[in-house]
Amino acid sequence: MSSAPRTEPMTAEMVSEFVYKHSTGNDIGRFLAGMKDQKKIWCQRVRGLGVAVPPVGYSEADGSPAGEWVEVQPRGTVTAIARVFRPIAELHPSDLPFAYILVRLEGADTALAHIVVDDLDRLFIGSRVEAVWKPDEERIGSIRDIAHFRVIG
Amino acid sequence: MSQPPDEPVKYIESKIHLPYDYVAGDYRALYMRALADKKILGSRCSVTGKVFVPPLMSSPESFAPADELVELSDRGIVTTFCVVNIPVIGREVELPYVAASVALDGADISIFAMVQECKAEDARMGMRVEAVWKPDGERTGDHTDISYFRPTGEPDAPRESYINRL
Repeated sequence: MSSAPRTEPMTAEMVSEFVYKHSTGNDIGRFLAGMKDQKKIWCQRVRGLGVAVPPVGYSEADGSPAGEWVEVQPRGTVTAIARVFRPIAELHPSDLPFAYILVRLEGADTALAHIVVDDLDRLFIGSRVEAVWKPDEERIGSIRDIAHFRVIG
Repeated sequence: MSQPPDEPVKYIESKIHLPYDYVAGDYRALYMRALADKKILGSRCSVTGKVFVPPLMSSPESFAPADELVELSDRGIVTTFCVVNIPVIGREVELPYVAASVALDGADISIFAMVQECKAEDARMGMRVEAVWKPDGERTGDHTDISYFRPTGEPDAPRESYINRL
């Protein structure tokens, strides 16, 4: 053992924070504008996948350009769940226990990632969920304009 | 409406927020706590005798233990410096200001320090400076216990006295 001086532990609570702006581009930009201004979820019909959400402007199957815009319903079926029992404040989208979900919205052929915060004991693969929109004055053109999804069955 | 709005949202603002607990090692904890008593600690290499500040447990040069803590002067020499003209978020210092490396008397390497009570154009290598401490009762044992360094007015140190202590 070294004879180096010792002392009581010293700790400090620190935060690293990286604030940034992310350019959305035209397709995601219009998708977000639809949520903000119309409270609608718009998808794009793409070759190989059907109606894709979120709309990225091309087919993730073969790279071909996206076709027409298609409105889908703000409710659907849960296809995957990741539960977060101990959220980290400001890092996670909820301060209380919540679940990340993939939801296959009615009219869509791919799944959207979002969160469920209530009734987690009723949340399973196959559960029906519905978007809970933020009030008009709080929607800013973000995926979080949908505050969360709630379990409806 | 069979289309989303023509005018897209241009960008989203986001952030990555990473809280964590920092745990100081023995040497850094001893160094910080000593600052509350207006003491600056260094460590002496058991082989070369060189003194490091803040104290290191082993010499990066000889790799030998630096297991003797020594108290250093709160006066020293500006070994190199830059004049800062760009504001930094979270730092409320009037621009321009001088950021310097200071070789404390008795130390073989420099610490980073702010120099105040000194016009930017008067800063120079070899300038003698001293620590300005926070008042008694306000020091808490962290690096802000030294408010800044200021010129002492002593004659400049000769180049050979600090050129190997950058």
